Amino acid sequence: MSRQPPEAPTIPEAVMLTRDPIDPNALLAAVADVTAGGNVLFVGTTRSLTDGATTTCLAYEAHEPLARAVLAGLVAEARDRFALVGCGVVHRLGTVAAGEASVAVAASAPHRKAAFAAGEWLMDRIKREVPIWKCEHRLDGSRAWVHGDMSPDALSRMAEDRNHP
Amino acid sequence: MREETPTVRVALFAGMAEAAGARSVDVPWNGGTVHDLRQAIAALFPVVEPLLSKSTFAIGDRYAAADEPVPVGADVAIIPPVSGG
Repeated sequence: MSRQPPEAPTIPEAVMLTRDPIDPNALLAAVADVTAGGNVLFVGTTRSLTDGATTTCLAYEAHEPLARAVLAGLVAEARDRFALVGCGVVHRLGTVAAGEASVAVAASAPHRKAAFAAGEWLMDRIKREVPIWKCEHRLDGSRAWVHGDMSPDALSRMAEDRNHP
Repeated sequence: MREETPTVRVALFAGMAEAAGARSVDVPWNGGTVHDLRQAIAALFPVVEPLLSKSTFAIGDRYAAADEPVPVGADVAIIPPVSGG
């Protein structure tokens, strides 16, 4: 029998893109660890009102292989940065009705402050760097893809850091 | 037999696909950098230029820097400003 490698113990990680409704409890269970004292679960839901226009649903699309790779890199970075014992992200693709979950992030750490900080850090980075886009479908029948501006900072991070996770 | 011009297929997403009216475009390509490819696309498909100027590029499952070479036949995508979450 080979000896146990002298590395850190395996850390539960979950990165998933799904066309089915998100199950937040499953994500929370995936990051559970007996050494965790704080488990933070963030669930982002589609908002029905944006800039005064009523949105009936959002349609999400992704560059899936790149999105998975970027998410995996962010989860690994969060784990190191916040000394997490578990971390996971699920993002919904396809049509999501107003009020449904479009993204969920879970972070488990020995203490709550690191778990809260990791959840916020991950959501900020996900919204800036992961190649996923939303199309707003409005009550008046119009639709529009949402594209902000990429900050030069985010652009250079994407080109430099993500290439060498 | 006629020799075909080499091309690189560039995948388009979201508003970029909508502007071009296609999920991908084939660009005649004899090699060059991401920066060169960006200029070639802007010249061939001026309709995508406003969004292209705010976009970055990916090769395979990595983001690509402007000075990175793009081989013929590479799996390239234009990544317009993202809006997940």
